[in-house]
Amino acid sequence: MRLFTLILAIFFVLVGNTPATALVTDLSNKRIEIRYSFDGAQLILFGAVGSSAVDPVNDAYDIVVVVRGPESATIVRRKDNVGGIWINDANLNFPAAPGYYAVAASRPLSEIAHATVYANYGIGFANLPLIARTDRGLMEPDPDFKKALYRLRAKENLYRQELDSVTLVAEGLFRTDVYLPANVPVGEFLVETFVFQEGSLKARNRIRLNVDKEGFERAAYDFAHGFPFLYGLTAVLVALGAGWLAGVLGKK
Amino acid sequence: MPLYLPIAEISMDIFLVIGMGAIVGFLSGMFGVGGGFLMTPLLIFVGVPPAAAVATQSNVITAASVSGALAHFRRQGIDIKMGIVLIIGGAIGAYFGAGVFAYLRQLGQVDLMISLAYVVFLGSVGGLMFWESVRAILRQRRGYVPPKISREDRHKAWIHALPFKMRFRKSKLYISALLPLLIGMLVGVLAAIMGVGGGFVMVPAMIYLLGMPTNVVIGTSLFQIIFVTALTTIFHSVNTQTVDIFLAVLLLFGAVGGAQLGARVGFKLKGEYLRALLAMLVLVVCANMGFGLALEPDELYSVAPAVSTKAGQ
Repeated sequence: MRLFTLILAIFFVLVGNTPATALVTDLSNKRIEIRYSFDGAQLILFGAVGSSAVDPVNDAYDIVVVVRGPESATIVRRKDNVGGIWINDANLNFPAAPGYYAVAASRPLSEIAHATVYANYGIGFANLPLIARTDRGLMEPDPDFKKALYRLRAKENLYRQELDSVTLVAEGLFRTDVYLPANVPVGEFLVETFVFQEGSLKARNRIRLNVDKEGFERAAYDFAHGFPFLYGLTAVLVALGAGWLAGVLGKK
Repeated sequence: MPLYLPIAEISMDIFLVIGMGAIVGFLSGMFGVGGGFLMTPLLIFVGVPPAAAVATQSNVITAASVSGALAHFRRQGIDIKMGIVLIIGGAIGAYFGAGVFAYLRQLGQVDLMISLAYVVFLGSVGGLMFWESVRAILRQRRGYVPPKISREDRHKAWIHALPFKMRFRKSKLYISALLPLLIGMLVGVLAAIMGVGGGFVMVPAMIYLLGMPTNVVIGTSLFQIIFVTALTTIFHSVNTQTVDIFLAVLLLFGAVGGAQLGARVGFKLKGEYLRALLAMLVLVVCANMGFGLALEPDELYSVAPAVSTKAGQ
């Protein structure tokens, strides 16, 4: 059904006379539900470039897709040797670091456009507006900490850059895979698609993607956070019941 | 088969979790210990956030202790009065321990505290236990029988000088209630910050400090652990929301089976050898934690969500 809508949209873009949208995209799934068996998710982003902005038949174009997850306050800590043992010492607080950030492109980013172009549109990890909160107010973060944030999140597959590629299928159609690991944060995601031609931006659009705990997982999380005392009591009762059961069974 | 744990917020293989429960259950059944000191580091090692590992482990120990305590209760092996005094101390200790835990979590020093507590307590208890068991094994080979210490000499003079004396009939003791209260408090703190039951501190303290007869020591210790870990679970739930019931139930599932098997193996081994083995195990865990503190880590940086300054938000 979605695919049908997409084809219909592509048709209007390609055939229609109004050059309102030069770019149409859709995701194979706009709502990711985290349930007990959740082990990450793989989505497909489809898109079509209309002839109003570029002519896909005659001119080569490039696609860059940026997926950005919900922002949350994040602390990066560094261990230092204090009195012979390694302990968390210096730290830097990022009040709004994206919990997920992935860039996919049809060619290596450096071949598509100049670095300043990416800076203008905030494409790429280097161009994320990451500000650190310190005792002296908000300021530009220490580059070591920023690099560490990228490195650690990249290791968990939460930050991805120069890893995923956009495939240009044919006639202005393109697709890319969006990979969400099991530890993906919940919240609203933004999927932005950029069309570049000869190093400059021709079109862009954004669609939303929701990741949320569902059903039992959501209920358990809400219970633990909304009624922590009752949750703790339940945990104890479950443990007492299980222990009693084990004791009775073990006797036989 | 992956299973998403909604509180710990990670996806874990269900058989890995049950397997870990079974291995730790086997060892705890064999040695007659709770096994918290093994399980908590193991959980952290496989990627469970330290706060969730400690808090969840309290919940597992509650269940494990219930079945153990039931068996001792049937054999009249619990000094309830002594247990209650220990529980009161334990409740106070657990309350403070959980408070310290939540505060250090905010500072980002929970891992350090867990490691330090493990190194200090496991190191000293493991070392003492190892020395004691090796000496017992050597003496036994030489045929040496230690002279019996009379009941009156078991307590040092300062213990009898303490106020608030109480009679504990089952333990055949007339001592100050302050002493078990303090021991209970220490165990409560350990339960809250290390995710252990604290039996490895309480059992020697009951034998050597209080002079309790060995037939009521284990039962009374388990009896106290049920209540203290239950309280710890509630304190952690309220303070940090890190108790994962699902993880706890899975671990238990494995532990119950493992413990039955372990107990059977344990009966076949001699007490001194069992204690020496247990001591070595304790020292290995301790050394592992110690190396983690002393060696320069490959990755100096770590990322964590910024915890709000208000506890129980």
